[in-house]
Amino acid sequence: MKRALALTMAALTGASLLAVGAPATTAKAAGTEIRFLNNKVEIDEGLKKLAAAYEKETGVKVTIESLGGGVNTQSTLKGYYQAGNMPDIFVFEGDKDISTWDGLMVDMSDQDWVKDTDAAYTYNGGVYGFPITTEAIGLAYNKAVLDKAGIDPKSITGPESMKAAFETLDSKKDELGITAVVGYYTEPSALWWSTGQHMFASYLDEGLARDDSTYIDMMNADGGPTFDDKRMKDWATMVSLFNQYADQDNLISGTYDQQILNFASGKYAFVTQGSWIGSTIMNDDKDAYDAAGDFEIGMIPYAFEEGQDTILTNTPNWYGIYKDSPNVEAAEAFLNWCASNDGGQKYLVEDCGCVSPFKSCTYVADDPFAQTIIDYANAGKTSAWHWLGMPEGIGQNATGVVFNDFAKGTYDVDGFVAQLQQSIKDYYASKSTGS
Amino acid sequence: MSSMNKNTVGRRTLSIAMLLLGTLAVIASLYLDAIKSGAGYRGALLIIGAVVILCGLYFYPTIMKHRAIINFIFLFPLLFAFVVTVIIPMILGIFYSFTDWNGVKFSKFVGFSNYSTMFKDPAFIWSILLTVLFVVVNMILVNVIGFLLALLCTNKLKGTGFFRAAYFLPNLIGGIVLGYIWQFIFSNVLVKMFSMKYSLLADTNTAFLAIIIVYVWQYAGYIMLIYITGLTTIPGDVLEAAAIDGANATTTLFRIKIPMIASTITICTFLTLTSAFKQFDVNMALTNGTGSMKFMGSVLSNGTQMLALNIYSTAISRSNYALGQAKAVLFFIILAAVSIIQVRISNSREVEL
Repeated sequence: MKRALALTMAALTGASLLAVGAPATTAKAAGTEIRFLNNKVEIDEGLKKLAAAYEKETGVKVTIESLGGGVNTQSTLKGYYQAGNMPDIFVFEGDKDISTWDGLMVDMSDQDWVKDTDAAYTYNGGVYGFPITTEAIGLAYNKAVLDKAGIDPKSITGPESMKAAFETLDSKKDELGITAVVGYYTEPSALWWSTGQHMFASYLDEGLARDDSTYIDMMNADGGPTFDDKRMKDWATMVSLFNQYADQDNLISGTYDQQILNFASGKYAFVTQGSWIGSTIMNDDKDAYDAAGDFEIGMIPYAFEEGQDTILTNTPNWYGIYKDSPNVEAAEAFLNWCASNDGGQKYLVEDCGCVSPFKSCTYVADDPFAQTIIDYANAGKTSAWHWLGMPEGIGQNATGVVFNDFAKGTYDVDGFVAQLQQSIKDYYASKSTGS
Repeated sequence: MSSMNKNTVGRRTLSIAMLLLGTLAVIASLYLDAIKSGAGYRGALLIIGAVVILCGLYFYPTIMKHRAIINFIFLFPLLFAFVVTVIIPMILGIFYSFTDWNGVKFSKFVGFSNYSTMFKDPAFIWSILLTVLFVVVNMILVNVIGFLLALLCTNKLKGTGFFRAAYFLPNLIGGIVLGYIWQFIFSNVLVKMFSMKYSLLADTNTAFLAIIIVYVWQYAGYIMLIYITGLTTIPGDVLEAAAIDGANATTTLFRIKIPMIASTITICTFLTLTSAFKQFDVNMALTNGTGSMKFMGSVLSNGTQMLALNIYSTAISRSNYALGQAKAVLFFIILAAVSIIQVRISNSREVEL
């Protein structure tokens, strides 16, 4: 009796294990399924539409896996790699991640889509990254408020005109119904990327040609980082202007959500964020945006020196194909389809709100910034994102708090410049010794 | 007797057959994995093989070793889980701390250079000091407050049940959620209420205070519950005898209650010590370790970053997994040493009583 019971138990355990284990493993063996790892939760739905359309057309199933909400995609991917669970197509953030995946990605130089774009990620002569969108960094503005105050955004071409515009707006705050001129937030634990990376990006690239890497090269020089002191001081003067005219209640410890909601509600004339806030405004903050009258949104350059007339645009991250995947060819075919105007572009632009980096694309997104980016690009007034070449974690672990301290009044402009340079030098030094 | 014998022979055959079959299945599945066959049934085969081996052991006809075999079988799931989730990762972690591992691959062994680097890093030394300070402050505060709450809740007042639940409730909320709730309170509510210039969290010193407040708020209720259990186990006749002898409340507390719950104090001190040392989630949600701090001649940006969070950010946000591992090894040594010493001291004190 005891034996019979034990045997039955053993058999049942085994059977249940088989039942649990089987579906997950057999699906992997089928081979015609592509796993696509995305890091933008906000476009998850659009990508799923795209995948459904692709499956309908070709019969190849594409599984979209979206990580987000504060998940560190790259460390999750490293875990996947260790577990032998790598997706076929995965996202990476350019230069800072390339050393991790070097040698593990497929060279896509021979693909058709490469000829159709300037935004592919290239490394050592090979093409490793597929771009899906273009994002812009600049000073976003609320056109309705500027119109009401009688300010033409195009008239802001340098520090004097910017200061004059800020003063005018500040003096008419009540009349315009705004709480502050500019929504500039410096909270260092969660918004370090906005200050430490994007605000700093304007020092590195503002007004430069796309291939001009003067200032990032000075920082990444072999002998340790060096800076253009005059340029940095001009830039820091602009940051201090933002400090002065920011929403003082939120300057030190406000959150991203508050920043975008307040801008969407028409409480700021400007906001120091990039084009990605478009999707937040159109989705999460739709009600507030509607209530504020769906005002027109545009973007001007961070013109901290007279005549700087470019906004900073780039592909924020790229998609690579895992070399040891059994579905390399299927993945390549899928990316080619995504790049074509008759294929995936419709979904990427219309459903995901991407600004297409492909020349043949004829769709325009329903995003407040899409037209602005296209206009600047067509006029040749864009600079690149060389901040992507800074060492990983510098904003979070070194410079973010310096911006915050500057906002708190710990430093004056010169003190801020000195401390920022020192913090960057220290971080580079600690990076080179490995800590 | 003869039927028993027949039974034994039958059992022996069955047992050996099962052991063989199980071993075969395990080997086959490992082989399939080694040649990367990708066969979907290999995982199931491995587990069935292991279960069959265990059954074979169970049926093995021996009187002498039977108890040992049963002990092993019952301990096996726990031991297996312990080895897989603790022992193997620890050995791997120690191994990786001597390499330049980046989370995906490593190219060379670097000897002790990760260990020497971390002690030259002011940010890491600051994290250690801060953690020690945090542990000391919290060990005292949490225990004192927890004990006072326990005294309050064991009183014959009305509604103690409600208060017990209310004090314990914060412990049921996850640290991350709780951290974000308090972040909102510090950054929005308190700032407006006291019209402060900026949030407690924005300044390194006050942010440290804020973390302590939240931690005590979260943990004191839990410790209180343990003290309540301790206090209620004090025999009534002892207290009655003390009362008859004329002991007042203070004397009863210090001469009767506290000595009687010495073992509870040991447990609580131990719990608060280790959990404060491992503080991570509230720290991460409240400040994520940020805060500027002048220390050892440089301005640090991790003014409120405790040890566990420092290890995490070294590995994840700075993408230096090998150094993170080296720090984690040190973390383990500190924690193990402190715990052992603490238990020794407490035990010897209990014996004296």
